[in-house]
Amino acid sequence: MSKTLNRRDFIKTTTATTASVATIASGITLTTFAANANENPVTNEKRWGMLIDTNRLTEANIDGMVTACKKEHGWGSEAHSTGDQKSNWIRKLKVKDKATGKVTSLPLMCQHCEEPPCVDVCPTNASMKREDGIVLVDRHLCIGCRYCMMACPYDARSFVHEDLTDQKEDMPRGKGTVESCTLCVHKVDKGEAPACVASVNSDAVIFGDLYDANSKINQTLKKVQSAQIRADLNLNTGVRYSGI
Amino acid sequence: MYRFLVVFIGFAFMSIANAYENPLTGNSEAAKSSKQYHENVSVIRKMHPEFLNHKRDKTLRQGVRTEENSLKGCVNCHANKDETTNEYHSVNDKDQFCSDCHQQVSVSVDCFSCHRTTPGASYKGVR
Repeated sequence: MSKTLNRRDFIKTTTATTASVATIASGITLTTFAANANENPVTNEKRWGMLIDTNRLTEANIDGMVTACKKEHGWGSEAHSTGDQKSNWIRKLKVKDKATGKVTSLPLMCQHCEEPPCVDVCPTNASMKREDGIVLVDRHLCIGCRYCMMACPYDARSFVHEDLTDQKEDMPRGKGTVESCTLCVHKVDKGEAPACVASVNSDAVIFGDLYDANSKINQTLKKVQSAQIRADLNLNTGVRYSGI
Repeated sequence: MYRFLVVFIGFAFMSIANAYENPLTGNSEAAKSSKQYHENVSVIRKMHPEFLNHKRDKTLRQGVRTEENSLKGCVNCHANKDETTNEYHSVNDKDQFCSDCHQQVSVSVDCFSCHRTTPGASYKGVR
């Protein structure tokens, strides 16, 4: 039996097909989210910190940390800034015990204080501490007054003195604002370690959650002697040192 | 008759593919795309400053790093490439995506004194 398709049936069939295809296709959108995109706000159940063992860290390691930071955030190539104007997110510092003459090199960056003086003095709330303890500058609000630079006991903040182009996509930087170590917040939010920690690639620098009893940093801090720089200020820093 | 049916269904498919009329010109990913990313073009045109401001606070202060309303996403999708050098134009260059409207309405864009104006090295294209 041969089946012929009359005009009415033909229109019926094609309309139905079109409608069903349209229904299925409408569900497909261009939106795809990265697998580990952080959709939830950070909480104070965590506090990020770092433990730096100066005895195990060679000068080359420290230079590597500085280089890694420059590469990650794109600072250090400001052509028109001179001397103190240059950005310094992390630097190599030499400290000498006057009594014994022992010289120790250590990397110094924003110490991510629990009670950050930079946040206290900021007139626009640009200097801020995230719930998970990372201290940042909100450059959308920063007016460049540099009070925070004055307040910081670690001299950890820098001011951008010149127009910049070709910034790193994860680290916007611009003239007239203050900047400092972000603890590589864009990487931490993705579950990665900061660039300087990754560059050392040994237990000389440990990064992790200070509150998590099972984390390596928490376990190590329980065992070894560690110190905060300028502990007398009671800032409870997130970056701690052993061997000084 | 069946052959005719196949041809017709083919046309039907094409009409679905073309149902989204892309308002963009140029060779950016957004312009080449046949799919609609923003729910409503007129809403995004009018409200994008609010969306961006809202998202920037969520990202910086709360660590919410989704693609939705991220400035990086705008730049990645909307930056045009130079046909000869194969390098991206800055989105705030004259007659490029951002400045095209902004110069017409005399509104300065401050985003790009800090933010990158072309897709970064880690951007691998098509999502």
